[in-house]
Amino acid sequence: MVEYSKIEFLVACASSHVRDGEAVFGGTGMPLLAALLAKESHAPNANLISEAGFIDARPREVPLSVADTRYYYGCSAAIGLIETLGFILQGGRIDVGFLGAAQIDEYGNLNTTYIGPFEKPLVKLPGSGGGNDIASSAKRLIIMMTHDKRKFVKKLDYFTSPGHLEGPGSREKWSLVGGGPEVVITDMCQMGFDPESLKIRLMSVHPGFTVQDVLDNVMFDLIVPEDVPITSEPTQEQIDIMHKLDPKGIYLGKGG
Amino acid sequence: MTEAEVEDKRITLAEAAKMVPNGSEIFWGGFGFQRAPIAFAHELTRQKKRHLNIQTCGSEVDLEIMCGAGVADKFEIAFTAIEALGLSNNARRRVAEGKLQVEDYSNLAMAMRFLGGSLNVPFMPIRSLMGTDMARLARFKGDKKLEIIDCPFTGEKICLVPSVKPDYSIVHVQRVDMTGNAQIDGIVGEDIEGSRCGNKLIVLAEELIDEEEIRTNPDQTKIPAMYVDHVVILPYTAHPMMCHNYYDYDLEHLQMFHKLTRTEEGWQEYLDTYILGVESHSEYLEKIGWENLNKLKAKKPWGY
Repeated sequence: MVEYSKIEFLVACASSHVRDGEAVFGGTGMPLLAALLAKESHAPNANLISEAGFIDARPREVPLSVADTRYYYGCSAAIGLIETLGFILQGGRIDVGFLGAAQIDEYGNLNTTYIGPFEKPLVKLPGSGGGNDIASSAKRLIIMMTHDKRKFVKKLDYFTSPGHLEGPGSREKWSLVGGGPEVVITDMCQMGFDPESLKIRLMSVHPGFTVQDVLDNVMFDLIVPEDVPITSEPTQEQIDIMHKLDPKGIYLGKGG
Repeated sequence: MTEAEVEDKRITLAEAAKMVPNGSEIFWGGFGFQRAPIAFAHELTRQKKRHLNIQTCGSEVDLEIMCGAGVADKFEIAFTAIEALGLSNNARRRVAEGKLQVEDYSNLAMAMRFLGGSLNVPFMPIRSLMGTDMARLARFKGDKKLEIIDCPFTGEKICLVPSVKPDYSIVHVQRVDMTGNAQIDGIVGEDIEGSRCGNKLIVLAEELIDEEEIRTNPDQTKIPAMYVDHVVILPYTAHPMMCHNYYDYDLEHLQMFHKLTRTEEGWQEYLDTYILGVESHSEYLEKIGWENLNKLKAKKPWGY
């Protein structure tokens, strides 16, 4: 039996959603590992882009920052932010963006800015960074989060990045370039979106969890289809690749 | 042929910081861990500057220093955190105390605001921010934060962000000649736009090179001298962050910084030890220790 941590499961699961040849915004942390794992396994021609300006990157060590020089050696172009977020992303050339969030609502809208009221925030979070740009303009979004009931809210404390906003027609109303979120992956389950309402719908539960576990850990009405399969486990090969990519456990060691 | 007179724009770090009046708007260069003008943040702190408004896409340790020490009380930014290490503890505390106002934009929005300022036009259109709280809620920018309109040509919704023309642009680069021709290795982040949008531009550089070297590799010159007002030559300007081809980030120091900033007492200890407790950048480098700094030197071909 393959042994894995929750983080390793999450990363392997997310990486399976990247298709070969796609242009992918990687960032840092779990999303970066997921993109790199995809490149090292089933999607060798994925074009990994960092918003700081690195294009077609093949880092030999995991970067700690989107601007880390570890992204530089082996990439095919090192330019800047107007290039990546402007010409490439807003130009409609990014297939997949990965995002995380402190809060998500039932339409896949994300908060990465404040906890508490806007007028008197309790916690200042990092903010949008390129997140809003990616959520607005990438063709598909993969959202990765550790599962905590307090993150799956009916109403966001602050609305940073657009998912499907208020449902059908919303993204068209604001002329957003991208298609919005396609999948939400946690360490408990995978969720997709109901094509009619564009609300979050359970897709699969990870081994060891039940549908009820998921329902107990979201604060909105989750759509549950009749058939909810068990998510397939990562392979030993995937685990080995992840450990090779992050030998010091900089990302894998955290929160697992 | 007569010899052209060459202007020497070099000044000291202290002289450069002294020029910045309290209450100034400043474009802050560098991106993430790369080419952060940390030494300039230290000097502004030592000179007890106040009420600065820092404008950038995303900065990290430098923003923590400036809001933590009370140098800046306004940020117009997209991002602050120490990325892989975690949240910006000082910014988090100062926001909760009401001592720091953050006007939230996205990275593309800020880069386009700098591009607009550089192009001498009042605004730039973008396809981000629409439908979210960044478009609905504002702090000190009020109704001048942004505007969403129906495009007069296509009829689609488009977001207009106001251009930025700060009093000063502060940019850190690898190499410069004494007239200000500045060369950047690696990614530029938003420093092309940021260096052109300010009323005055101060370039901090790791290394002084001769004009002949500039003319040997002119494609490396990302900021021509015509934009540059002052030049400060200073090794390890970005420590504990990184400078491509020159040195890596100092992970041990960064982790210590991040741990100390978890409490106000810890942050004050860092401030007293590493910033107020030294009189100059060279004294700071002595405190870090040349043995440590030498270990961070970049190795070919990796650039870190």
